[in-house]
Order: sequence, then structure tokens, then C-alpha cells
Amino acid sequence: MLQTNNYSLVLLIQLSLLAFDLFVNSFSELLRAAPVIQLVLFIIQDIAILFNVIIILLMMFNTYVFQVGLLSLLLERFRALLILSAVYLTLSICLHCWLMNLRWMESNRFVWTDGLQVLFVFQRLAAVLYYYLYKRSTEYLGDPRLYEDCAWLRDAFARARL
Amino acid sequence: MTMDMDDEKVYSTRRRDLPPITHVQKRGPRALPSLPRNIVHYHNPVLSSSSLFFDPDEMPVPKKRKKKKVKQEESTDLVEVPKGDGAIEMGGLASPRLSESRERLTPEPPENQPQRKKKKKKAEAVDQDGDHANLVLNSDLADQNSDEETTRKLKKKKKKSKPKVTETELNNDLDIEDDDIITGTQAPIPQHALFSAPQGQSQPVAKVFIERGRRFQPADRTQQRRTSTQMEPNFMDVQSTWTTRDVSMRVHRGFRVIGLFSHGFLAGFAVWNIIVLYVLAGDQMSTLPNLLQQYYTLAYPAQCLFYLLLTLSTVSAFDRVNLARVPTAIRSFLTLEPVALASFLYFSALVLSLSQQMTSDRINLHSSVNASLWVPGSERSVLYPWIIVHLVVTLLVGLAWVLVSTSPDVDYTEESLMAMKIEHPKVEEKGSVTA
Repeated sequence: MLQTNNYSLVLLIQLSLLAFDLFVNSFSELLRAAPVIQLVLFIIQDIAILFNVIIILLMMFNTYVFQVGLLSLLLERFRALLILSAVYLTLSICLHCWLMNLRWMESNRFVWTDGLQVLFVFQRLAAVLYYYLYKRSTEYLGDPRLYEDCAWLRDAFARARL
Repeated sequence: MTMDMDDEKVYSTRRRDLPPITHVQKRGPRALPSLPRNIVHYHNPVLSSSSLFFDPDEMPVPKKRKKKKVKQEESTDLVEVPKGDGAIEMGGLASPRLSESRERLTPEPPENQPQRKKKKKKAEAVDQDGDHANLVLNSDLADQNSDEETTRKLKKKKKKSKPKVTETELNNDLDIEDDDIITGTQAPIPQHALFSAPQGQSQPVAKVFIERGRRFQPADRTQQRRTSTQMEPNFMDVQSTWTTRDVSMRVHRGFRVIGLFSHGFLAGFAVWNIIVLYVLAGDQMSTLPNLLQQYYTLAYPAQCLFYLLLTLSTVSAFDRVNLARVPTAIRSFLTLEPVALASFLYFSALVLSLSQQMTSDRINLHSSVNASLWVPGSERSVLYPWIIVHLVVTLLVGLAWVLVSTSPDVDYTEESLMAMKIEHPKVEEKGSVTA
């Protein structure tokens, strides 16, 4: 059974990482005076995304549903998050590499092209969906039914066997 | 090899099945220390790993016992002997008088050993009894037997006169239920009444010895009782009030407050922004160079703030619709529910706002870089769509805020979070499924 204190702590870490991610996405363009600052911010942001994915995977592995083998039940709930996290991480890394490549020599110059603009828009839109799905998933992982045997789980098991 | 295996088997079966063996019972008393000793098992859910050992002096004097029972229980009581060494030492520390009496009485056969109801431990007791008996075998058997007969008679007389006063006091003092006390346990009476300590009423002392980390440490009884009574309600409160579901709902409600603030702030900021733009642009956008001069420092921070607020508002609106549950979301969109419309409007505004990132950066770099970015006369072609997009974003955001405000209570995600309750199955069903 998931302890409330442990869950609160994990939730706090996850939301803190999400908040940092949102901060970097929002204000990284303003903090480009020195390219090193932006580079460090981007690296930390990518690591934070990776950490968030690892944490939510560990939380899924900790569920009773996963331990009894009902993986499809978890995937049904959290498939969108896992896919979008991978997409968002990929888009973020690509955008960060591109931006840093363009701005490394001179940070305060106009670097925008149509391709960069499109990638930027898609990365930011993916970020919004990622925030929503991640927050929702962390809240749903507090579901006590996922951590012990109950009628709901048995119904799901019966449906899965059919 | 096979012999050893056979021996082991015999040994194991004897441990389980055989009742106390007669020869062991005969040898047993020699090994037993005649120290009066009582052990109370105090079952506390909070302090489950600790047990309380009391000073032997303060324990009530044993009641009348039958000889047969005493003989049967001698072996079981020996279960306590190895662990009881610590208790005996502590008892000795607590009262030097006791240690003296123990030295005097050690070779004597303790006949009234405490009776135990735990039959599981009988077999172990038999083995330990045998070990202890071997240690003391060098003393003579004959003297012991004769001593037994004489002391039993004396003991019978003594037992009748023992008072039962302190037992109830002690129970009240420790808040021990009757079930927690193994009532069969009886402290042995010193065999030679002439040489034993006086049998007056023992008074409970304020110290209780609690096992902590393999050591017995003295603690005040009043403190112990206070802490145990304080910890239980707190523990129960925490357990009963907070679950992971409650934490989830609390986080969700907290974010909804942030979202509400974000909706309003974004609408207000967008309106302020568009008013400033139109004022600086002048009538019929005739003073666009003035707009560039005045607004270029604000353009990029405003763009970043727009993204932040639009992100918060969009996530909040998606939360209200519960967008991840597709059937519910589609139904909401088709029925044109306000929150569904609002989430669509916020997302559209976000896309439009992000599409102006390039133009905002161009405005931001108006005065710092080369002149190729802003060719004279090109201001209108660049700034006019940018202002129009901002106007549309403002309208979308304002309309979404109005829609959200009309239905502030609608939150489908919260409803689904509230449904995360465990319905415990019946015992019969549970057994069948687990099987």
C-alpha cells in the first residue's frame, strides 16, 4: 500500500520538476544574455523531463495492478502520457540543440527561421499537453484501488480476460 | 550421515508432539533459579516491539497453585530463562536484596515455577530445561528430593495467606487489559521460608524496564503511559483522515485555485496589452514607429508572460473538461458546454500567441541589432498582423474567461478523482479469487 507521506513527497518532487520545466519554457528566451546560462537551463530541463518520466514509471511499477500483471490496465490509463512524454523530450532536445547551435557565438541575434518557428510551436504545444497529462497521471496514481485487491480491480481483471 | 538425519528427525518430532517429558521434569527444578519473577506481556499496537519487565519486588505475590500444574508448567517456564537473564539482571540491579536471596536460593529446587499457557513453546522449554539440568547435574539428587517434600508443605500454608491486593493496582496503573496478562504465570515462592525474604506487600515502583535495541532501559511508568496514550490517537487520526486520494484531490483543488487566478489575470493582462498597443499605434495605426520605440522592451517579456498564463489556463481548462477521457470530452464539445468551449478557446489562443514568437523577438531586437531587421517602411507589414493576432488572442481569452466564470463548479477531473474509492469485497469472494 502506498503511504500517504511517500506519495506526498513524490508528488511534491514531480510538481516541482514540472514547475521548473514551465519556468524554463516561459522565460528561457529572456535569459539568453549568456549562452552558458541558457545551455545549463536547457540541460536541467531535459534532465527534469527524464526524471519525471522515470519517477512516473517507478510509481507505475509500484502499483499492485502492475505487480499482478495487469499491464494493459495501466497502459490504457497512462499510454497517452508515456507517448507524449517521449515526443516532448525529443522535441525539447531538438529545439535546444538547434537554438544553442544558432546562438552559441552570438546570443543576442535574430535566429528565427520558419523551421525553427514550427519546431518551437510544436515543442511548446507538446509541453502544455505534457503538463496536463502528467499532472493528471500523478493525481490518478494516488488512486488507492491501484495498490490493493478490490472489486474494481477484479472487474478489470474479468474484462481483461474476456 | 544417515544417523544424523534420523536423529534430527527424531529431535524435531519430539519438539512438536511430545508433552513435557518426565525425566526432564525431574531434572528441571535444579536448573531453575528460585528468583521470584513475573513477566507481563504488554501488547501495545504502537510499541509492538517492546516488552515491559517489572521489578520482581513489585509484582504481586503468587496465589495458590496445585502441585500438578506446577510440575507441568515448570518446563514451559524455562522458555523465559535464556532471555530472562537480562530481566534477572535488571531485577538484581533494581533491588540488591533480591540478588542476595537469589544467591541463597539458587541450588534449591523451585517448585512453583510460573505456569504458561503457551503450549507451542513447551517443546523448546523441554530442550532448554535439559541443558540447564545438565549444568547443575553435579549437585546431589537426594538432598533435592527431600527438600522438595518439606518445602511443599510449608508452601501450602504460605499460599493461603498471600494477599491479592497489588495486582489490581498494577493493572490499573498500566492500563493493561485482562487479555494481555498471562494469568497462569505465578511467581515462585522461596522454598525455605525461614531463610527467604519477608513476604510483605510489595509496592510498585515508578520504573519500568523497556526493551529498546536489545537493552532494557528504565523509564518512568507515568511517562510511558502518557506517551502510549498520546501516540495512539494521533496515529489513528493520521491514518483515518489522510489517504493518497485526499492528497490528490487537495493538489487538484490547489491547482484549480491557481487556474482561476490565471484565467482572470490573463484576461486582464490581455486587455491591458491590447489597449496599450492601440494607444501607442495611434489613430488608424499611423504611429507604428512610435509603437516600436516605446514597446520593444515590453514585447518579449509580455510574450513570455502570455505563454505562462496561457499554459496555466489551458491546463486548468483541460482539467475541467477531463480531456484525457475522450468520450466525456467529445460529449462536452458536442453539447457546447462552457468549459469545453473555454478549453478550445484557450488552446486556440495559445497557438496564435506562439505563432507570434518570431515577430515578438524581431520587435525585441529593434534597437540592438543591424538595420536589416527593420527596413524603413516595413513596420506596417510586420506589426499590423501582429496587433491583429493580439487582438484576437485577447478576444479569445476574454471570452474563455467569461465562459469559465459562468460555470465555476464544473470539474470532471475532480469528479473522477472522487470516484477513486475502494469498495472492499466480501470475504468469501476474496477467498475464491485469491485461490
